[in-house]
Amino acid sequence: MNRLPRGTAAGPALAHLIAPLCLALCLPATVLAADPTMPIFDAHIHYSHDAWESTPPKTAIAILRKAGLKRAMVSSSSDDGTQKLYAEAPDLVVPSLRPYRKRGEISSWVRDETVIAHVEERLKKYRYAAIGEFHVYGADADLPVMRRMVQLAKQYKLWLHLHGDSDAVDRVMKQDPDARILWAHSGFDRPDVVRAMLRKHRRLHADLAFRNDHASGGKLDPAWREAFLEFPDRFLVGTDTFTPERWHYIVEHAEWSRGWLSDLPPEIAERIGWRNGEALFASMMAKAP
Amino acid sequence: MTSRRTKGLRRRAGLALALLAVLASAGADVGIELSAEELDRIASHGPWPLPWSADPGNRVSGNAAAIFLGHGLFFDEALSANGKVACATCHNPARGFQDSRNVAKGLAPGTRNTPGLFNVRHQRWFGWDGAHDNLWSSSLRPILDPGEMGGSAARSARRLKASPALHCHYRAAFGKPAMADDPELLVNLAKGIAAWQETLVSPPAPFDRFRDALARKDASTAAEYPPAARRGLRLFLGRGQCATCHAGPMFSNGEFGDIGIPFFVKPGGVDPGRQGGIKRVQSNPYNLLGAFNDDVTRENATGTRHLRPEHRNFGEFKVPSLRNLRLTAPYMHNGSIASLHDVVRHYSELNEDRLHSDGERILKPLGLTAAESKDLVAFLESLSPTEPISVAVKPMPIRDCLPATRNSRIPAAGR
Repeated sequence: MNRLPRGTAAGPALAHLIAPLCLALCLPATVLAADPTMPIFDAHIHYSHDAWESTPPKTAIAILRKAGLKRAMVSSSSDDGTQKLYAEAPDLVVPSLRPYRKRGEISSWVRDETVIAHVEERLKKYRYAAIGEFHVYGADADLPVMRRMVQLAKQYKLWLHLHGDSDAVDRVMKQDPDARILWAHSGFDRPDVVRAMLRKHRRLHADLAFRNDHASGGKLDPAWREAFLEFPDRFLVGTDTFTPERWHYIVEHAEWSRGWLSDLPPEIAERIGWRNGEALFASMMAKAP
Repeated sequence: MTSRRTKGLRRRAGLALALLAVLASAGADVGIELSAEELDRIASHGPWPLPWSADPGNRVSGNAAAIFLGHGLFFDEALSANGKVACATCHNPARGFQDSRNVAKGLAPGTRNTPGLFNVRHQRWFGWDGAHDNLWSSSLRPILDPGEMGGSAARSARRLKASPALHCHYRAAFGKPAMADDPELLVNLAKGIAAWQETLVSPPAPFDRFRDALARKDASTAAEYPPAARRGLRLFLGRGQCATCHAGPMFSNGEFGDIGIPFFVKPGGVDPGRQGGIKRVQSNPYNLLGAFNDDVTRENATGTRHLRPEHRNFGEFKVPSLRNLRLTAPYMHNGSIASLHDVVRHYSELNEDRLHSDGERILKPLGLTAAESKDLVAFLESLSPTEPISVAVKPMPIRDCLPATRNSRIPAAGR
């Protein structure tokens, strides 16, 4: 998935060292700012029941288009919200199956084995790019419900949009070394920890939703810049509309994202801004079921 | 270090002994023992009132002429576009300088609950979104806002010149007459209004008497604090973790939080709260980074200089002071909660899904019993004075502005 030249003989570790070096040497000396109308793949949108009530599907889709989103990966409590939005704009919405049947299951779902049948039923009925976003931390990732999610993701060739700590990521990867995880909020971890995890798990990707530490005033934090240069094809942006009001923040978040992305070389900005999402998720929906 | 620690331990032990004595003397309700840590935390909420100091950003802070001027302007409806709206229209002195409405109504209905003004001198940010970093800037906004008073520099200058007393005090405070084309005119008016508001200090409440009694080991006075309020205080400090944000003598850390209150605004919009407030304070020509800040060192602008908006600020509102709550219902930024019982119920049954799981980590549904809820309300009510507060007394004019025929004694105005 990384389009940058890699020292395949030397393995991924060397490739990660070469990638930023190549970027520094191979890009033109004058780096142009990212296009202010650059499309955005927003990897972290929720459309839960209270959002349907306050922002009906047509209004919601209008917001996404106004924000200049090329695509939005949407998950909802319940999944009906995602389906309503997908039906309204299949060209724009990438559905992800959130295992929560209603709000209030964030903390309880992983111990509730009735969740399994619900997820299995939805997977048979609808198309998805991922299972998630779900919340799981530490040893809970080894509980039966979570193990079944990992199996189902493997069976249906889906991503896992995992909101949790690095321990949970490690445990899932141990269950299925080929699992593909989109690590929500990059685990709210420090950039050095995130880089270490990305080196450790080659199928791990990370979204930057609801975090500000990587950029301020349109300028990148140096440690995060290094992370983006090392892994230009492993990061995505996202708003995280965890309350219905936050639908009114999507446009501003897209503008904010374009602002800090313009502090990167344009090619990397485009990858993080939208090309990674397109390559990883949108292409899955494009394929015949 | 050792000596300080020893002294601290002795002090804690003394307080603990004092409290035990208090509880013993309280008779029926001796079921609560406060730990040394709790005693320290109780002490951190006082003493009250706080020492007053002049606002370095307002050169007429504490100035008697400015206080007289500010008082007059605060109650003056002639500053408004229709001649019917004054600052006091919403900030009613009889209601803790609040209006009892869900949201304010000046010339037009607003979207936010009117905050009370007692102890406003001790606030760090002003307005529910903190869109102002100083009191005078915050006082100027409603005068000019078309939806609140709809005033102007020209109208204000005319009003001052029509009142010999106000104009005299303006000249005395600022050393020049009020001129509509003076770019400082509106700011000066606002600084006068701020100077008066700075004098609005609420008296000690039952909690303060309890806190002070513990500090001086006065068991009999401490025993007067109602048992329900004591139990509520313990919830407030302990399981509720309320004091994490409602900290210090003001019972507020002066910052902003999202406690799961919806922030839609009809029709179809939202109140962005602190996120919008940061933008507004940064772009406001009357902020502390601007030319009208009278603190030449600009040390008072440090907080403004370092403001950086974050995603979490969207939908955050100011952590309000908990003093004088009995006077200022309804509650929350949009007045959506009618009573203190309902406020406590909100925290007891908190909807966690409205809070980001990595945002307000401190907030969890408290799951209070009915009795615990009553106790917490009793504690909150104990932060309000029990007697009516007499604060809206008109300050006396300064000698030079007295009408020639009057021969009045000049009391000390301001501080």
